[in-house]
Amino acid sequence: MPSKRPLEGVRVADLTAMWAGPYATMLLADLGAEVVKIESPKAWDNIRTLLPPPMSPGEEWWNTAHYFHEYNRNKKSVTLDLADPTGKDLFGRIVAQSDIVIENFRTDVPAKLGLTDEWFRAQNEQIIVVGMAGFGKTGPDANAMGYGPIIEQMSGMTALSGYGDDGIPIKTGISYGDPIAGLGAAAAALTALIQRRKTGKGQYIDLSQREIMTAQIGEAFLDWNMNERLQPHWGNGHDWMAPHNAYRCQGEDEWVAIAVRTDQEWDGLVRAMGSPDWAGEDAYSDQIYRWDNRDVLDTQLSAWTAGLSKEAVFDACCAERVPCGPVLSMANLFDDEQLAARGFYEEVSHPQHKTWLVHGWAWRATDAGPCIASVAPNFGQHNEEILGGLLGLEQAELDRLAGAGIIADRPLGQLTLSELEAAGALAPPPFKLD
Amino acid sequence: MTTLPDPTPLLTDANVDTYPLAGVRVIELAQGIAGPYAGKWLAALGADVIKVEPPWGESARAFGPWPQDDPHDETSGLFLYLNPSKRGITLNLETSDGRQILRELAPSADLIVESFAPGYLESIGLGADILRAGKPEQVMLSLSAFGQDGPWADLPWTELTVFALSGQMSLTGEPDRPPLKNGGSQPSYQAGLNALCAGLAAYYGAQVHGAGTHIDLALRETYSSMLELFASGQSSMGLEFPRRGNKVSAVWGIYPCVDGYAGLCCLPRNYDRMAEALAIPELKEPKFADPAQRLENEDELQAIMYGWFAGKTREEVHQLGLQHQFPAGFVATVQDLVESEQLNGRDFFLEDDHPRAGKLKFPRRLWRGSEHDWINGRAPELGQHNVDILHHELGYEMEDLPRLRELDAI
Repeated sequence: MPSKRPLEGVRVADLTAMWAGPYATMLLADLGAEVVKIESPKAWDNIRTLLPPPMSPGEEWWNTAHYFHEYNRNKKSVTLDLADPTGKDLFGRIVAQSDIVIENFRTDVPAKLGLTDEWFRAQNEQIIVVGMAGFGKTGPDANAMGYGPIIEQMSGMTALSGYGDDGIPIKTGISYGDPIAGLGAAAAALTALIQRRKTGKGQYIDLSQREIMTAQIGEAFLDWNMNERLQPHWGNGHDWMAPHNAYRCQGEDEWVAIAVRTDQEWDGLVRAMGSPDWAGEDAYSDQIYRWDNRDVLDTQLSAWTAGLSKEAVFDACCAERVPCGPVLSMANLFDDEQLAARGFYEEVSHPQHKTWLVHGWAWRATDAGPCIASVAPNFGQHNEEILGGLLGLEQAELDRLAGAGIIADRPLGQLTLSELEAAGALAPPPFKLD
Repeated sequence: MTTLPDPTPLLTDANVDTYPLAGVRVIELAQGIAGPYAGKWLAALGADVIKVEPPWGESARAFGPWPQDDPHDETSGLFLYLNPSKRGITLNLETSDGRQILRELAPSADLIVESFAPGYLESIGLGADILRAGKPEQVMLSLSAFGQDGPWADLPWTELTVFALSGQMSLTGEPDRPPLKNGGSQPSYQAGLNALCAGLAAYYGAQVHGAGTHIDLALRETYSSMLELFASGQSSMGLEFPRRGNKVSAVWGIYPCVDGYAGLCCLPRNYDRMAEALAIPELKEPKFADPAQRLENEDELQAIMYGWFAGKTREEVHQLGLQHQFPAGFVATVQDLVESEQLNGRDFFLEDDHPRAGKLKFPRRLWRGSEHDWINGRAPELGQHNVDILHHELGYEMEDLPRLRELDAI
């Protein structure tokens, strides 16, 4: 019998969109909270339609985009136009029955909608409101747009990444600031819940996405404090380990990472390579020599890996207990024996899309069952359950709201796949996909 | 410049409600970055975090940076950053006395954070079932590279090799160069932030539902949980994704500018405002303004962007983004950050005149809460709180301590 999810009984009114906010509420939903995702019929979560058809196939492609599904499983969907007084009033009634509100608007947006701290308190004195603007709610940068890739640059993190030979900082491969901010916002919400249990008080959290990210470069601050030094780019190298790099293997763009910490691990690597003569040279006889001669060492090691598949290098290193990791592609991850043994990926399906795999628990209780209890909701799927069930609206009232465009079960103005095709209006993606 | 006190006297009966985790006891059996990073914020939120180190000190003490690059156990910048406001004791778990003391201490904990190799605690008779037996509502949080079970559970690893295995590395770096690890100790910190979330959630659940739990957090799985459209695009659509270096598109990337590097992240809906702000008439022509044609003319557009950035400072780019509401920023260094009006104005930094390490200034909190504060104490010296915990709390005689030291137990 799996243990209870820790947040069972907690309700979250979720105003977030794109990635950072939805990542936070995904974590809370995975942890058992009832997350009610609230979108405007006119300004829905853009992630639903950021990758156009055929990237998001399905007649109602705003419900099937894999990008949307990545962060919105286990949630419920309600549509409400908060710019409309009736819509805002209904939102207030949801807030009255919720524990947490999370929003990742730019700082000036909630104020324009009248969603002030005072307004929230009037709906529910015990409400916890987490605002996660890119740069926080105060200061000269309060209204700056905080997309993850910008956060990453402004946080100090990008300045530390690079190959080292050309001084060029290199961005991460993902919109890294987003999930980091999302984790921070989930931690903030959990902290406020813990405190509320003691004091009975609600709370306003002013979370700057940049600050969460900046906290993750601690030792770079200390180096500046102590030595007025900006840390160099280490590439895939290390300040005392060698070998420590990514090495090319057989195949097209295939690589393996190897890192050696001790003489024992070096001896293991030498055996893994079949004890070649060069490895016995004095230049490699201890950690300091290996580090000093790491460029030549990397060349020698590359000559060995180049003749093997990354999996063969991995197997040889594992057998000798040398830290090693093939650089895995997305496709590799889905074939991975360790992730498979742990049930990391879970199958999801949608009536308008074939079955596919999504990551489950980011971490799990040792007795947890599967993470994904329900696939991401269709647009407005839970209008009846929440507005009718929770708030007690009659069907006639729901119909009136739909007629007035205050709620909807389809993004207003959005065409279905066949309508788009008929109109010859398939939009391109935001960047080249190959 | 202030001088920070020992953390314990900071908590009083009067301010206990100000610290969300006041009264919560955490035992930290973790070394390096990920586990201690979680413990750092638990301590700052008011928890009594008892850091258990081996008598020779935990691994972070052996990593720099150090003042003037002069290695010393008590001045490692990494250690000082990761361990403020904790209390420190030493225990050698390879000795029976060391294990006995941990067994006696364990029931006081609400949360135990450990990062030993999977199976190690069981092998010395201190597995989750033993440590938690005295307190069923206790939470145990186990961090490991690959998880507590599965065929790879006991593989040797470093931050680099786990990052390679996570999928993030295959997406990072220039397409014609090797895949690249993120700078600093980024992979370990991202696992640590996950561990903070995991610990808070499990503690809350234990309080509400009356039953503790054992959390199995695999560093690699926390990294692989952040693969956005790439993993799901592969699984659902069969898409393969190349590394893109600093260029996702001509208007989404990083460019050299007058005094460093600056960047943009324009989705189609941000383009028009960006074009307006840059005031380059060509950008409004259909070959660039139309989203489909823009993708076809990427190289030409990128050349224009190179030229534009070459004449702008980082601050000019940032201010344009702010004024015209499009996503723009710059590659900030730690020097920029410690001098930042935005960050200093939000009281983001802690300043300390440390007796051994000198003047320090680094992040002191994660967010701002209307109802809570953050505790900012110093990191413990090795074994600094042995007497507090062993003598005052567990009742060992002062005379016992030299004997335990001799036996290498503390």
